[in-house]
Amino acid sequence: MPNPRTSTAHAALARLGFHDPARAERFLRDPCLAGLALEGEDVVVGGLAQALGAVADPDLALLALVRLMEGLQRSSGSHLSALTDALARPGVARDRLLAVMGASTALADHLAAHPEHWSSAADARRLSDRELTAVLVDAVTGRETAAALDALRVAYRRELIGIAALDLTAPSPVDALPDTARSLADLAAAALEAAWVIGRAEVGPDADSVRLSVIGMGKCGGRELNYVSDVDVIFVCEPVGHPGDADGPTDAAGDVDGDAEARAMTVGTHWASAIMRACATATAEGTLWPVDAALRPEGKQGPLVRTVRSHKSYYERWAKTWEFQALLKARHVAGDRELSERYLDEITPMVWQASARENFVEDVQAMRRRVEQHVPAREAERQLKLGPGGLRDVEFSVQLLQLVHGRSDDSLRSRTTLDALAALADGGYIGREDAAVLDEAYRFLRAMEHRIQLHRLRRTHLVPTSDDELRRLGRSMGLTSEPDKAIVEQWQRRAREVRSLHQRLFYRPLLSAVARLGADELRLTPAAAEERLAALGFRDPKGALRHIEALTDGVSRTAAIQRTLLPVMLGWFASGADPDAGLLAFRKVSDELGTVPWYLKMLRDEGDAAERLAHVLSSSRFAAQLLERSPTSAQILGLPGGLRRRTRDQLDATMAAALARYDSPAEAFEAVRTVRRQELFRVIVMDVVDLLDLEEVGHALTDIAASTIGAALQLATRAVETELGEPLGTALMVVGMGRLGGGEMSYASDADVMLVHDPGPSSDGDSEHDPRPDDAELQRRASLVVQELRRLLAISGPEPALGLDVDLRPEGKNGPLVRSLDSYRSYYERWAATWERQALVRAAPVAGDPDLAAAFVALIDPLRYPADGLTSHELRDIRRLKARMESERLPRGADRRTHLKLGTGGLSDVEWTVQVLQLQHAHEVPGLRTTSTLPALRAACEAGLVTTEQAQELTAAWSMASAIRDAGMVWRGRAMESVPSDLRDADGVGRLIGRAPGEGQAMVDAYLRSARHARAVVDELFYGDTPR
Amino acid sequence: MNRQEEFVLRSIEERDVRFVRLWFTDVLGTLKSVAISPAELETAFAEGIGFDGSAIEGFARVYEADMLAKPDPATFQMLPWRTEGPGTARMFCDLLNTDGTPSVADPRYVLQRALTKAADLGFTFYTHPEIEFFLFEQGRKPGDKPVPIDQGGYFDHLPQGHAHDFRRAAITMLESMGISVEFSHHEAAPGQNEIDLRYADALTMADNIMTFRTVIKEVAYEHGVFASFMPKPLMEYPGSGMHTHLSLFEGDTNVFYEPGARYQISKTGRAFIAGLLRHAAEITAITNQWVNSYKRLWGGGEAPAFVSWGHNNSSAMVRIPMYKPSKGQATRVEVRTLDTACNPYLAFAVLLAAGLKGIEEGYELPDEAEDDVWSLTDGERRALGIDALPTSLHEAVTVMERSDLVAETLGEHVFDYFLRNKRQEWVDYRTQVTPFELERLLPRL
Repeated sequence: MPNPRTSTAHAALARLGFHDPARAERFLRDPCLAGLALEGEDVVVGGLAQALGAVADPDLALLALVRLMEGLQRSSGSHLSALTDALARPGVARDRLLAVMGASTALADHLAAHPEHWSSAADARRLSDRELTAVLVDAVTGRETAAALDALRVAYRRELIGIAALDLTAPSPVDALPDTARSLADLAAAALEAAWVIGRAEVGPDADSVRLSVIGMGKCGGRELNYVSDVDVIFVCEPVGHPGDADGPTDAAGDVDGDAEARAMTVGTHWASAIMRACATATAEGTLWPVDAALRPEGKQGPLVRTVRSHKSYYERWAKTWEFQALLKARHVAGDRELSERYLDEITPMVWQASARENFVEDVQAMRRRVEQHVPAREAERQLKLGPGGLRDVEFSVQLLQLVHGRSDDSLRSRTTLDALAALADGGYIGREDAAVLDEAYRFLRAMEHRIQLHRLRRTHLVPTSDDELRRLGRSMGLTSEPDKAIVEQWQRRAREVRSLHQRLFYRPLLSAVARLGADELRLTPAAAEERLAALGFRDPKGALRHIEALTDGVSRTAAIQRTLLPVMLGWFASGADPDAGLLAFRKVSDELGTVPWYLKMLRDEGDAAERLAHVLSSSRFAAQLLERSPTSAQILGLPGGLRRRTRDQLDATMAAALARYDSPAEAFEAVRTVRRQELFRVIVMDVVDLLDLEEVGHALTDIAASTIGAALQLATRAVETELGEPLGTALMVVGMGRLGGGEMSYASDADVMLVHDPGPSSDGDSEHDPRPDDAELQRRASLVVQELRRLLAISGPEPALGLDVDLRPEGKNGPLVRSLDSYRSYYERWAATWERQALVRAAPVAGDPDLAAAFVALIDPLRYPADGLTSHELRDIRRLKARMESERLPRGADRRTHLKLGTGGLSDVEWTVQVLQLQHAHEVPGLRTTSTLPALRAACEAGLVTTEQAQELTAAWSMASAIRDAGMVWRGRAMESVPSDLRDADGVGRLIGRAPGEGQAMVDAYLRSARHARAVVDELFYGDTPR
Repeated sequence: MNRQEEFVLRSIEERDVRFVRLWFTDVLGTLKSVAISPAELETAFAEGIGFDGSAIEGFARVYEADMLAKPDPATFQMLPWRTEGPGTARMFCDLLNTDGTPSVADPRYVLQRALTKAADLGFTFYTHPEIEFFLFEQGRKPGDKPVPIDQGGYFDHLPQGHAHDFRRAAITMLESMGISVEFSHHEAAPGQNEIDLRYADALTMADNIMTFRTVIKEVAYEHGVFASFMPKPLMEYPGSGMHTHLSLFEGDTNVFYEPGARYQISKTGRAFIAGLLRHAAEITAITNQWVNSYKRLWGGGEAPAFVSWGHNNSSAMVRIPMYKPSKGQATRVEVRTLDTACNPYLAFAVLLAAGLKGIEEGYELPDEAEDDVWSLTDGERRALGIDALPTSLHEAVTVMERSDLVAETLGEHVFDYFLRNKRQEWVDYRTQVTPFELERLLPRL
C-alpha cells in the first residue's frame, strides 16, 4: 500500500538527482545517518541529501558513505563522531568527501577498506612534491619488501584521494586541470622515490657501490600526468666514485673502469627492475601502474640502465628524431638527483639541436602520419587521445613547434604542454586567440579524460556510451541540466576546434608573418616563418612566403577569403609531393580567377573541392599547366557529378555542341580543344584522387582522343563539302591502331590510325545516270578531307597536341594516306605482311561511318585471327623484327633496363608476346579477339595458353610500366619514357601510383625486378627459350 | 656535429693533418679516393662532398644528379706509409644521393642493407678472413711471367728472407691502423704469404680488407717488391684464396654453437650452411669475380670446386673447423671459395643473404662429404649429389642472372651493372689468343 509520507521524500530525492530514490531513502533513514538528511518527510535544508545531490553520482556516493560508516563503526569511535560532525554541517569537508565517493567507485572501495582515510578527502590540501615524497618514503622505510609494497599502495591511494577531492570540488574543472595533473605527476614521482628505496633494500649492500637515478619521461616528465597511465622512465646508473665525465677511448684507466662499470650495470639493472616491480606488481592492495622504460636507448632491446656517457654516445650516434622529441620531457623524478642533473646537462642541449639534423623534415612527417593513424575504426568516434585532433595530436604538434623554434628561442623550452602553448603565443609563434581556444579545448578534453579514468581507476581514453555513464561524466564536469546530452555536445564542440589544430598551430601564424598588423601586435618573424615552412616540407620557404603574401595582401574581399582558406590549404600542399609547386600553381590560378564569383565560393563551400585542388596541384604539374591555360576547368571540382567519368556519347555530344556554335573551322576546332583540355583535367583529377584505376584511365583517355578525332573529321568533311558545294559522296572512317585501338591510351600517347573511305555499292544498271563521281575523284575528295583532318589536329595550341600517326597503313610511308575499302581488300589479299597482320590485332574503328566500320572489321578479322595460326616462317619474321627493334629503336642515351616501352620486360615485350598468342590462337579462343592487352592476357590464361604465374608476371610489369608512364606525365607535365632517374621525380611518381612518400627509390627497384621477371617469361613465350 | 666528428676535427688539428683522403669502393671492389683539405671536412660531415659518379665503375646513371661522399668518422685513421708524406689521414665514406638518401650503387650500402636485414632477425654477422697473396720482383712489364721473390714453401722460415721482413713491416703498419692480425706465415707457393685478420663485424672487416690490400701494396713498394692479389698468377702453383670464417651472434650468444650437437653446430648453423650450399652456384660470380678466379677454383689441389661441406675436409667448399672445448663462442663455418680479389662488401652481403635464406626457409643440410671430393669420379659425385661450381666466369654469370636472391641482395642497379660488366669481361677474354694456343697449336697447324 503506497505510503503518502514515503512518496513525498521519494519525490524530493528524485528531484535531487538520485536515480533510485527508494533505495536512497532507505539508506538515508539508516540509524547512522539519522537526522542528517531527512527530517520526517522533509529534506533537511543544507543537509546531507542536498550535498549528495551536488555530486556526480549521488546513489554511488550514498552507498559508499554507508559502507564507510559501517567500516568506522567497527573501528575506534573517534573517527565516527568526527565524520558525523562533518556530515552534519555544510562545508568543504563534506563536499570533498562526497565528491570523491560520487565520482570514483575505485576510491570508494579504498575508503571502505581503509575507512580512517576519509579525512584525507575532508581535510585535503595541496602537497608539494617534497611533501608527497616524504609521505610515501616514510610509509615504506624500514619494512620488509612485501609489507613495503602494500604500504606504498595504501599511502599512494590515500594521497590520490586528496588530489581527487581538490580536483572534484574545484570551481572549474578546466581551471584546475594543470594543478591536478602536476600533483598526479608529483605523486607518481614520490611513488618512484619510494620504489627506489624499496629496490635499494632489495639489492642489499651491493647498492652502496652504485648510483641510480630515475628520469621521468612523457607526461610524468612534463608534470602533466593522468590519473592512470603507464609511467615512462629512463634509468641512469654509474658506479660510485666513477670519474663520470672522463671520456674517450684514450682513457688509460678505461679497462679498470670498464670492469667496475660492468659490475655496476649488473647491480643497477637489478635495482631498476626492482623499482619497476615495486610499482607494477599486484599485491593484496592492488597495483599502482606499469613502469615503462621503452623510451630508453635501443628501446626494449637495449640495456635497462646506462651510464651518462653511454646515453650520450648513443644519442650522438644513433638516436632518431622521435627520441629527441621524447627527451624534451625528461626531468629528474627519483633517486640520485646529482646524477640526473649531470645526465640532463649532457642530453638537453642535443634536444634543441634536433631540428638541425638531416632528415628532420622527413622524420617529422612520418611521425605525424603515425600520430594520425592507428585508431581502431570502431573506437574512432569515442577516442579522446588518438587520431587526428586527439590529445596526442595536440601534444605532438606543440612539441614539434618547440623543436623547430626552440632551437633559437629559449623561452619555448618548457616540458609542459600548456606552458609551451602559452610561450608559443607569447612569442608570436601562434595567434593569441588560437592559443586560447586550443588551451581551453585541451584542458577540457584532459579534464574529461581524468573524470573517465577516475571512475574505476582504469587506463582508458574512450568516452563512455551508456546514458548513466554519460550522465555521471556530465555532472562531474559541472553540467547540471541534461548532463548526458550536454557533455556530448560540449565534448564535440572542443573536438571540432581541435580538428582545425594544424591550421591554427602551423599555418595561420604564417599569414601573420606577411600581414600588415599594428606594431604592437605579436607576429611570427619572417625568419621563424621560413624555419617553419622548411620544417613542414617547403623547399623554397622564401618563395612560399612571397606567394602567401601575394594571395593574402590587401583589403579586398578576395584577400579576406584567401586568409581563411589558405591556412587549411597550406596543410594540404605540405602533405603533397611538391608543396612549392602546388602553392605556386594555386597562386597563379587564383590570380586568374580571383574575382570570378564561383571560384572562391567553391573553395570555401564545396566540401572536397579545395582539398582536391590542393592535392592535384601539389602532385601534378600537368594539371597545373592545363589549369593555367583554362582556369575555368577548375569548376568541375565544385559541380555535382563533376568527378564522374563521361561516356563516349556524352563527350561526342559536348563536342558536337561546341562545333555547332561556330561557323569558322578554326574557331570551331578551338572550341573542341577547349573541351578536350577540360576533359583531360577531369581525368587527371580523378586519377590523382584515385577515382579511376589504370584500365579506366586508359579507356577515358582513349574516349577523349576518339571524340576529338571524330569532331575533327566532321569539321574537315564540312570544310571540304563547303568548298565542293555538294556532299562528299563517300563515307569516311578512322581506325584506331596501337594503344588507341586497344583502349589503352596514356596521357602522352600519339593516336595511331588508318583511314578508310567507301562510296557504298553503286546503283546497278543505271551507271550513266549515276550522279556519283568516279573512283579517282572520290579518292581525291577523301584525301582532301584527310589533309584537312591532319591540319586541324596539328595546329599547335596551348595544350598537348594530339599527334596523328599514320605509319601503320598499307605500304607504310609510301602508301596513300587514305584508301577505299576495296583497295584495302585487294591490298591485304595480295600483300599483307606479317607485321601488318600483327598490327591489325589492335585495330578498332574509333570514329566515322558505323556501317563502314562493321565492313572493315569483317574484312580484317580473317587476317588477324587466321584459322591456322602462324606458320613457323611468320613466327620467325616476328621474332626477328622484334630482336632488330630491340637493338635499333631504343633512343640514343636511353637505358635498356629502364626504358618503359622498349626496355627489357617493358611494354613492347609484353604486348608482342600477347599479340603472338592472339595471332596463333584467337581463331579457336574467342576471348583472345580483343584489341586490349590485359583482357587478352586474361583470356590466354583461362585457355591455358600461359600459366597463372606467367600471366601475373606479364600483367604486373605491363601495368607498372603503364602506370609509371601515366604518372610521369601527370607529375612532370612532360612525357616520361623511362623509369625516373631523378629522386624527386621518383618520389612524385611513386606517390601517384600508391606508394608512401619517400619510397621512390624502392619503386624503381620494384619496377626493375618486375620487368626482369617479365622478360624471363617473354624469353620463354615469345622467343621460345627453354623454361628456367 | 656529433662527438665522433669533433674528435676527428680535433685530431686533425693536433696531428697537423694536411690532407684527408675520403675512401670508397666501386662496384668491382677497387678502392677510390678523393683528397680534401681539413678545412672542407666540416662541410663533408654535414653535407658530404659532391662528385660526379659517372666516371666510376658501376656508379653511372643511377640518378642524374651528382653523388655525395659522406665520411664515416668512426673510420678515421692516419695513413702511416711514407709515400703519403706526413699528415695524411683517411676515412671511409658512405655514398649518398643529393637528397641525403643512401645511393643504391654504393657497395658499402649493399652490405649495410644485408646487415640490417640480419639485425632485424636479431643477428650480428662476424667474419674472419685468411688472406693470401704473392710477392713478386718489381719491374716486370704487364704480360711478362712474374718472378716470385723466394722459393719458400708452407710455413717455411727463410733466413734473411725478404718475406719475413715484409710480413713484420706489414703487420706493424696494419696494427698501427687499428687492424689486428691474428696469424701470418709463408704459404705453399714461392713468394706466397698468408695473413689472417682477427675477426670483426662484417662491415668493419670489409673496410679492413680494403685497407689491407692498400697497406700490402704500399709496404711491398717500400721493400722494393710487388704484391699481387690476383687469384692465380702462377699456373703450376696454388692460387691465392681468402678462406673466410663466418659466425652469427644473437647478443652475446653464438647461434651456431650448440653443445652436444654433431660438431657442436646448432640447427640454425646447419640451416645457414645449407643456405650457403644451395645458393653456392648463383653467388659464385660475386665471390669469384674475375676470369682468372676460375683458374684457381678449378686448379686442383685444395681448391673448393664442388658444392659440399665437411668437417676438417680441406677439399670441401664449406668446412667446419675443429671444435676446441670451452670455445663455444668461437664456433664458425669456413667458406673456402672466396678469393682475395673479390669486392668484400658484395661478397659478404651475398654470403650472409644465402645463409639467412637457409635459416628463414629452414633448409635441411645435405650429407657431409667425408672423402676428398677431387678424388671422386664424376659418377660417384653424381651418386652423392655433389654438384660442381661454375667452371668459368661465363657460367657463373649465366647462373647469377636467374638469381632473385642475388638481385635482391645487391639491388637491381648493382645487379644489372655487375652482370653487364662481367659479360663484357668474358667477351674480351674469349677473343684472346693465348700462349697455350701459340705453344701447342701454332707449331702443328
